[in-house]
Amino acid sequence: MTTQNAAGAAKPDLSARQIRRMKRFDNPWRNPKLTWGAALILGIVAMGILGRIFWNMDLVFTGSAPLKLPPLGFENLRGQPGQTDFPLGTDGAGRDLLALIVIGAPNSLFVGLLASIIGMSIGIFLGFSAGFLGGRTDDTIRILSDVMITIPPLLILVVFQAAFGDVSLTLMAILIAAFMWQSPTRLIRAQVLSMRESGYVQMARLSGASTMHIMFREMMPNLVPYLFGSFIANVTTSIVTAVGLEVLGLGPQRIPTLGRIIYEAINSGALIQNLWWWWGLPTILLAVMFIGLLLINLGLDEVSNPRLRKL
Amino acid sequence: MTILDIKNISIDFPTSKGVVHAVSNFSLSVPQGRRVGFIGESGSGKTTTALAAMRMLAAPGYVSEGEIHLHSLGDTNVLELSDDEMRRVRLKKIAYIPQGAMNSLNPVMRIENQIWDGIVAHEGHVERAELQRRSRTVLESVGLPASVGRLYPHELSGGMKQRVCIAIGVCLKPDLLIADEPTSALDVITQRQVMQTLREVQETIGAGLILIGHDMGLMAQSVDDLAVMKLGKLVEYGTVRQIIENPQHEYTKQLISSVPLVGGESFIESTPEILRGEAGPLLEFDKVTKRYGNVTALHPLSFSLDGEVPKIISVVGQSGSGKSTMGSLMLGFNAPTEGTVTFRGKDINRLNKADALTFRKDVQAVFQDPYACFNPFYRVDHALKFPFKRFGLAKSESHTRQAMEEACVAVGLDPSLVLRRYPHQLSGGQRQRLIVARALMLSPKLLIADEPVSMVDASLRAAILKNIHDLKDKHGISILYITHDLATAYHVSDYVMVLYHGRVVEAGPPKEVIGSPQHPYTRLLIDSIPWPDLDRDWGSAKDAAAGLDALATGEAAAQSVFRGDITGFDLSVHA
Amino acid sequence: MGRIPSSYLGNRIVTLFLTIFIAATLIWIIPRLSPVDPAEIALGRMAAGAGTVGNSEDILAQLRAQLGIDQPWFVQYAKYLWGIVQFDFGLSTANFPTPVSALIANALPWTLGLMLISITITFFIGNLLGALMVWDHSPKLVKVAIPAAMVLTSIPPILSALLLMWIFSAKLRLFPLTGAYGLTVEPGWTWDFVQSVLYHGFLPALSIVVVTFGFWALGMRGLMIGVQGEDYTTLAKAKGLRPRYILYKYMIRNAILPQITAFALKIGMLIAGQVLVERIFAYNGMGKLLYDAILDQDFPVIQGVSFVIILMTAFSVFLVDLIYPLIDPRIRHGR
Repeated sequence: MTTQNAAGAAKPDLSARQIRRMKRFDNPWRNPKLTWGAALILGIVAMGILGRIFWNMDLVFTGSAPLKLPPLGFENLRGQPGQTDFPLGTDGAGRDLLALIVIGAPNSLFVGLLASIIGMSIGIFLGFSAGFLGGRTDDTIRILSDVMITIPPLLILVVFQAAFGDVSLTLMAILIAAFMWQSPTRLIRAQVLSMRESGYVQMARLSGASTMHIMFREMMPNLVPYLFGSFIANVTTSIVTAVGLEVLGLGPQRIPTLGRIIYEAINSGALIQNLWWWWGLPTILLAVMFIGLLLINLGLDEVSNPRLRKL
Repeated sequence: MTILDIKNISIDFPTSKGVVHAVSNFSLSVPQGRRVGFIGESGSGKTTTALAAMRMLAAPGYVSEGEIHLHSLGDTNVLELSDDEMRRVRLKKIAYIPQGAMNSLNPVMRIENQIWDGIVAHEGHVERAELQRRSRTVLESVGLPASVGRLYPHELSGGMKQRVCIAIGVCLKPDLLIADEPTSALDVITQRQVMQTLREVQETIGAGLILIGHDMGLMAQSVDDLAVMKLGKLVEYGTVRQIIENPQHEYTKQLISSVPLVGGESFIESTPEILRGEAGPLLEFDKVTKRYGNVTALHPLSFSLDGEVPKIISVVGQSGSGKSTMGSLMLGFNAPTEGTVTFRGKDINRLNKADALTFRKDVQAVFQDPYACFNPFYRVDHALKFPFKRFGLAKSESHTRQAMEEACVAVGLDPSLVLRRYPHQLSGGQRQRLIVARALMLSPKLLIADEPVSMVDASLRAAILKNIHDLKDKHGISILYITHDLATAYHVSDYVMVLYHGRVVEAGPPKEVIGSPQHPYTRLLIDSIPWPDLDRDWGSAKDAAAGLDALATGEAAAQSVFRGDITGFDLSVHA
Repeated sequence: MGRIPSSYLGNRIVTLFLTIFIAATLIWIIPRLSPVDPAEIALGRMAAGAGTVGNSEDILAQLRAQLGIDQPWFVQYAKYLWGIVQFDFGLSTANFPTPVSALIANALPWTLGLMLISITITFFIGNLLGALMVWDHSPKLVKVAIPAAMVLTSIPPILSALLLMWIFSAKLRLFPLTGAYGLTVEPGWTWDFVQSVLYHGFLPALSIVVVTFGFWALGMRGLMIGVQGEDYTTLAKAKGLRPRYILYKYMIRNAILPQITAFALKIGMLIAGQVLVERIFAYNGMGKLLYDAILDQDFPVIQGVSFVIILMTAFSVFLVDLIYPLIDPRIRHGR
């Protein structure tokens, strides 16, 4: 076929469907990945809210239900069938898994969001300071973020929590945030340094704009896709770190979180006893959460870099 | 004998808004050993056509019609070759010399490896000694020492990189060379050297040459035949003499007239009545020096510019001559290492808050890159509205509106078409005019115009310079015009300073300095400008190299030649 | 060729030592801010062993002296730093009186081995696949299958470890549930032992590989798209080079550079992730050691393990930084 070989691409099909697909690229925010990702995350939030309204939350307490019941439609090793009262089964301490998840999943998301928000705020502050003030300040911030970015937060937090014992959800988020400022700092510093030389920032200076105006009115809007991307990546990292701590048996001891449920399951030998729902359901929820965050991040990448919009 | 035949080529790009016909019904033949120029504005389809001959159109572009024949392949249509057959044609038969020499070489590979891999891809295994011999020969043929082969691209200057690209292009002695604006990123002196090198090697190997460009002067000095393209159509074709001496198409005439000449009629009519400003010194440099580390960007320099009769002072020089440093010193973006810059008697680096705002209002600028000057987040009127309000010029919302509209009209823009657009929806010319309109709205006392037209299409340059000139005559604004282009400086300015390595080497009224230059550097600069004059001898690559060498070693370089004074501007250079 | 500019080298060495110093200091300060008294924990453990402990005040003082916490803070700090330089983290409280360094020396080779295999494999596979996703000449399958597999990449290794363990060890019984080698084989350079190690190490390594290759693939894809648009790639094509040659020598060669920098930044996260996988598989590495220490409140071990892992991270980063100028001539010439 000659058209296949003709210089460049083959003769494209210009069917209505193809044109619709191309049109999608005209508005970068109407991005299917972004939509799906947001839908998954909002789904988890909705589950948390609806669950609290429509389900009996007292079932998260130990002994409030029979032990090790399977989800509806399954049988456990002892031959017990699932019960409608506990549709997702129960754990080894007699707690209803649905109730655990309804409380635990938003908790994990909360830790991630809070840690990331705090980390971002510090990062924005330090990044702008380094980029604008330059000199000594810049050197200090740059070296500090270079150093801190190589230290894995998990290990320092293990030391902390092993020494302090139980922590609250908020405290854990704050602790994680102490390790979440480095990458936004580096990102913003680099962007600010390059934007400072850009024509429109020079124009703004010529227009008598204050430093604040230049930072927040001229630079910030153009940073938004990057900041958002960095924020989502940080949420993921924070949740991974939090789950890591929880699976090691650290983190909040009395509040259900997805990581804590998995920890208890493994500790009670749920894998060998084939109590798959016990660790499996929180695992799937976490996976959904991470996939949602990844999709949002991929979508954002495509917004800020149109060349990626191929796939 | 014809080497390339393009027959009725049409090239389409599908987009969401329908198919764009980038090139339609284009036919042309390139005879052996002949140089053919493709001239036109950006978007005219000149590069697209040339890339189609190499089968390297960027997706989703495709050739919808027509045939391309390469004579040495017999009767085969190039468009029907298999991918691997086409690969063998590239470089061996048709070589491409790219536009962006800065980024065209693989940054992590030595130069010689980038010559060798081309040879090996077409000839199979070649002995290393033979490869070395050939890379050495081909580098020497473009006037580079053989030792360049061992270097990495980042160790070379722009001109050297472009000559390496030419060396790669000719190393297999192809039938046809396609050079896509090979000198667009280079300054005039290097441009001449590279263009002449290209012509010389092309003559040696006897290949045809397609030169793509937008500068009629460069074409006149470089090609035999000229194809003028507009909006994907060939509007005129003939020998370069025919076209320059007797252009038929309106667009061709416009292209020719847009090239400013040194001497001859000015494209700017002077206004007899010039609006006068306040008397007294406006801007003063007192022994201003700028050093970056141990590199001196600007040697001690003093001058004083009087504000009563507005003037245009030109600062000309190559990149790296210190002219942009001077601009940023005047704007207060940079503090001098020694000396003071004063505006209306006040040191601009020691202003209190209120004075700083007045200074900002009184001194405005037009920058080189009209694409970067608008914040992509806002509509373009943000750039006009914000300073107007910030400087307290706005009485009301409707007053701002009115001022913006008037300024747009004054620079020849239709306010209803441009003001509410986003930057990427406007052309470079429109944006640069908006920046001029912005300066007009703020009615400053002094305007720093840093290369205001070097990134605008040639046909629009005269019009924008006219707008800037009007700022002086009709609005009483003094202007410092920073440029590398001596021809425009000749026409618009009242006084010219030529900068070389941070020193003023020649200064005076333009008729003297540019009309009959005395300093060797000024002469070299003027000799290097390509003019649409076929009978002028542009010199060879060796002349260009010799001129630069003479400057580098000669005593004369450090001396300043003063060619006369004008009232209201005093200049002195300190040893 | 091959000389690294001294300013670059100096910069990296300062960063390396600063990292180690800050980590060491954090590890030392944090427990001292805690209200929990390590002497009382030790006493509690003795009480649990012996039933009752008389004149506990004396023993507490004795324990404090033994642990060195009766001295002023700067003496303690100096002693601690001096100890750390000699890899002396004190004695394990749970396995008294085994030195912490001995426990770590046993566990470290397992972690290093697993890390070298899993992290390097994912880096290579991930980057290669990411490059193929962009390359014009890749088979169709690559362009469809890999993006689909990308979804896995968001999952942390700990979750994939759980799933793989359940499927292959608990359900299918193809692989062992725990440990780094079989209980019946003697450690040593015997074929049986090597076989057993590979057999036990397969699932932990796999669970890291499956979910982390995508991170590299995604990053590589973005970089390759950038490189694809570069002028030098266009010129390479115009030179009539073979597509495969362009892929390796022009595209991947340039796109890999930022990936190597990213590798240095990511290494800490990867090692931390691996520690958790080791804990799930009860693999005889640092992860298991750390987990057991947490259960036992064995503070010196927690400190030692954390410090050694951070040290590993810092040195890995340093190594990557040293290699970088060798593959990027622009750094080598001090630009």
